[in-house]
Amino acid sequence: MELLIIALALGLISFIIPRNSVKIFGLIGSLVSAGIAIFHLVNYSPESSVTLYENHSLPFGMTFHVGYDGLGLLMIALTNLIIPIILLSNYNNSKTSESPMFHALVFLMQFGLLGVFSAEDGILFYIFWEFTLIPIFLILYWFGSGTNKVLLKFFIYTLIGSLGMLLSFIALGLQAKSFDYVDLVSVQLPAKEACWIMSGIMLAFAIKIPIFPFHTWQPDTYTSAPMPGTMLLSALMLKMALFGMIKWMLPLAPEGISDLKWIILVLSVVGLLYAAIMCIKMNDIKRLFAYASISHLGLIAAGIMIFTKDSLVGASIQIVNHSLIAVGLFLIAEILESRLKTRNLNEMRGTATLAPKFGFWFAIIAFASVSVPFTAGFIGEFTLLKELTDFNTWIGIISATTLVFGAVYTLRAYQLSMFGTPKIDSFEDLRWNELAVFVIISISVVIFGLFPHLISDLVGPSLDRLLAIFNAPTSL
Amino acid sequence: MAIESLILLVLLFPLLGGIINGTIGKNFSETVVGAIGTLMVAIPFIVSFTIFLSLDTAVQIPLFTLIQLSDFSLNAGLQVDGLAIWMTMIITGIGTLIHIFSMGYMKGDPGFYKFFAYLNLFVFSMLILVLGSSYFMLFFGWEGVGICSYLLIGFHYNDKEKGMLNTLAARKAFVMNRIGDLGLMIGCFLLLNQFGSLEFSDIAEKMKTMSIGIDSVAIIAITLCLFLAATGKSAQIPLFTWLPDAMAGPTPVSALIHAATMVTAGIYLVVRSNFLFELAPYTQNIILYIGLATSLVAAFIAMRQNDIKKVLAYSTVSQLGLMFVALGLGSYTVAIFHVSTHAFFKALLFLGSGSIIHANHHEQDMTKMGGLKKYMPTTHMVFLIGTLAIAGFPFLSGFFSKDEILAAGFSHGPIIFGLLILSASLTAIYMFRMYFLVFFGEFRGDHHTKEHLHESPAVMTIPLLVLAILSILGGALNLPSFLIKSGSHWLDHFLNHSTFGLNVVHPHHLEASDAVGIMIGTSILTLIIIGISYSIYVSKKKTTKDETEFTGWEKLSTNKLYMDELYHSLFVKPTEWKSEKVIPLIENGILVKIISTLTTLVVSSGNQIRKIQTGILSSYYFWMIIGIVGLIGYYLIYFKFWNS
Repeated sequence: MELLIIALALGLISFIIPRNSVKIFGLIGSLVSAGIAIFHLVNYSPESSVTLYENHSLPFGMTFHVGYDGLGLLMIALTNLIIPIILLSNYNNSKTSESPMFHALVFLMQFGLLGVFSAEDGILFYIFWEFTLIPIFLILYWFGSGTNKVLLKFFIYTLIGSLGMLLSFIALGLQAKSFDYVDLVSVQLPAKEACWIMSGIMLAFAIKIPIFPFHTWQPDTYTSAPMPGTMLLSALMLKMALFGMIKWMLPLAPEGISDLKWIILVLSVVGLLYAAIMCIKMNDIKRLFAYASISHLGLIAAGIMIFTKDSLVGASIQIVNHSLIAVGLFLIAEILESRLKTRNLNEMRGTATLAPKFGFWFAIIAFASVSVPFTAGFIGEFTLLKELTDFNTWIGIISATTLVFGAVYTLRAYQLSMFGTPKIDSFEDLRWNELAVFVIISISVVIFGLFPHLISDLVGPSLDRLLAIFNAPTSL
Repeated sequence: MAIESLILLVLLFPLLGGIINGTIGKNFSETVVGAIGTLMVAIPFIVSFTIFLSLDTAVQIPLFTLIQLSDFSLNAGLQVDGLAIWMTMIITGIGTLIHIFSMGYMKGDPGFYKFFAYLNLFVFSMLILVLGSSYFMLFFGWEGVGICSYLLIGFHYNDKEKGMLNTLAARKAFVMNRIGDLGLMIGCFLLLNQFGSLEFSDIAEKMKTMSIGIDSVAIIAITLCLFLAATGKSAQIPLFTWLPDAMAGPTPVSALIHAATMVTAGIYLVVRSNFLFELAPYTQNIILYIGLATSLVAAFIAMRQNDIKKVLAYSTVSQLGLMFVALGLGSYTVAIFHVSTHAFFKALLFLGSGSIIHANHHEQDMTKMGGLKKYMPTTHMVFLIGTLAIAGFPFLSGFFSKDEILAAGFSHGPIIFGLLILSASLTAIYMFRMYFLVFFGEFRGDHHTKEHLHESPAVMTIPLLVLAILSILGGALNLPSFLIKSGSHWLDHFLNHSTFGLNVVHPHHLEASDAVGIMIGTSILTLIIIGISYSIYVSKKKTTKDETEFTGWEKLSTNKLYMDELYHSLFVKPTEWKSEKVIPLIENGILVKIISTLTTLVVSSGNQIRKIQTGILSSYYFWMIIGIVGLIGYYLIYFKFWNS
């Protein structure tokens, strides 16, 4: 339980920490929570399910039940390890890093995310899910550059999506007479009803991931958000939806999948191509990375929809990989934007000549994001594409073209910003904290690229359990 | 030491060299950086040579499992057999010479340490490619060499004039290779689907027990995917246009990566998969025709190129095409023989051109050279040897290897044979055009350059001399049986001995009389071509024409058959159009509008509802009553009519 409480506590304490020491406090605090996550990771025995806290005496058949299995623990650890990286990359950004309010919001966000990943009750999941929206909205509102219209679009749109999920949970819960995960899962549904319930849940996830054509909130929000906000959104918040698809959507109403599988699969693949092609001529670097993110996540979503063991393992690896890469890419965008005062690729040139260290690490992150060997993305994409090809050759081949498009737009962005003769005289090379972030990300990506079984061993047994639920014969 | 541990050393050294030079190389002097870089390739050469001496049967070395999935597992493992160790020796041997040459060529370059780090990493990736025990490992190396190639083509990215062009060439190479990689990846999926494993040995074993029909759909799909990958890496039609552009990289890179080693990866892939291709005559035919077409097209384009490196690049494409012809005819060992001799003389020619370019202040245009014979005697001598070798001058290395390809074509049929002869003649024509333009006549460059013309330092000429000796003697690797009694076809026997699949496929040897006839015929042809070229370019001094005077075919040749323009309008333009016009239209014109309407709807409905909250008690009562009436009405209707 200390997992969740420490985030909440850190969030509340941050309010009263003086401005000049809050960034050190934040960093240390987040490292402590990361340490706790590692402690849980070390003590976790595979195949077990850990209950953190359970209280059934709540009204309306709700329970306060939090715990984790392998998959949940992976997401929890990911959250707690990514937060310090985000705070570290933000360390020298005076506007946010010296604000107690900002740190409080980040930790509250962390609290919400951990709640989502550990909730074992439908309503609780929904409450945490919605809770995360508040801190991120405030971060965007107070520290970002977005207009009210953009923020409103983001807020209302995701809120509407979640409504679908809530209605689906209530409909299921009324039949199960309880909202506990185990009870919700055991409800048998006629195919038609299951299809509606799944659609309701999927609406929330499709908007959050986002899947084509529900993605339009994302690029505007990303570009107007402050860097740590973008990182929180893409590295962690979107992963709630992918996690939700695996743990909640498909096991809850497996009877509905036959009708929805193709729709979601095709939308994912269309979105993956759509975003990738869009990126080819895009000149706003942050927007480009936002669309690239849509493209990458489309592949993961498509893989999840096939719902085989291997595709889910691939998706888990890719989730971790994307979180790391996203932090790296948006840090790169921020470095360029803050020092050149522009996001337009055509106005940047020759940065690598002025800042060789930056040029080197950008190259590493760029190659990692096009999934070259020795990086986790290579294994993740290989597995996902293999499963997609096995499922349907054409879907597999079409999805695999992202390999080519990904190389085109990533290298174009790299080339336009880094190569050529510089227009300006000087460009501040990497600061220590930025360097540290790139080193940490690169090392992690390579470690998971060479030893991806670290992830697959962790999530394997829980995926087996989910698959057993999913494939259980339905009696109705 | 056993082969298992020795082979790890072979891999470890280049990796180590790359890491050392890449991280702390900046602080070292150029000599130290160069020495580290060179040693880290030279030692593996010596080690692989000792392995080569003791190798008897194929050795599998499993390393570790990356990931165990439910249907299959991805393993890291190595495999040493005749083919692998032969390729290893070429890579490290030629690699060592090119590293030494680079110490002179790259002298004074601010990125000296980076250059050697990249070269070492390239060698490492290339070794993984040829030593891997599975298609998965091969894919690892395959992508790895692609990255190193990208980094090295764009090495001079901050060059004032050509910086952007260099990086564009690098990106083109990477992207076109990625299209090929797509084929390799899908091929891997299909192999997994069919055999449940990516290990060469597993697949080979299963091929024996499973009955797979010749030309069955599965085997054709697999082999076509693998061949697509090969066309990407080995610059064959349709994916060949990147290689000439890749000449933007420093010349040692062109020699090592884009002539001697990386571009032969596609040939290695097909030879390695020989047991698959043997079952797909359909694909073999495609390989034959693609190889032949590429060979002719590239040779045709090379006729009217003026950039010395471009000529050599198209020549490489053309020679690779010949190797694919050999593969298409099922003569795998012949292809590897030509890979070997080509590595010798093409590395020699590229390094020789590097020496020339170095002396000419980085001028690559042959119309601005001429008469270099007296300024650069050593370079001239080795360049002549390289030219003779590639043109098929009797008893030099290229003569024997090309002759075997011709012999294979001869037994296939007259049309194929005729076209091969044509391709070989074109080779001699463009090579001697280049040779005479560069070394004979008067110097046509500017005065300043002329004063500084000089022979390159020993660090550059010694590797050239070694390569020249190899280019002369390389043919001895695989002498035909009518020339010597014992020890003929040594390379064939060596490769067949321990490489899976090759021992089953016996290359077809011609009757001695036919073989001798072909040899004599081609020799005479080559000599005639040399004579004609001499009379045109030296006696009549027809050096260059203005582009306006070009006849039809010359225009086609100098404009590279308009291939780049064709691809641009077929693939690049439409995609960019979609990216710039179509998708933004859908995005901003339709999708964004819908969402904005939705949010506006929510906001305005909020405004509407706010009006109800007037604060006037009577209006609340009014709505309350409406609500109660509505509820009662609903239940009445529901119970009365629905349930009855």
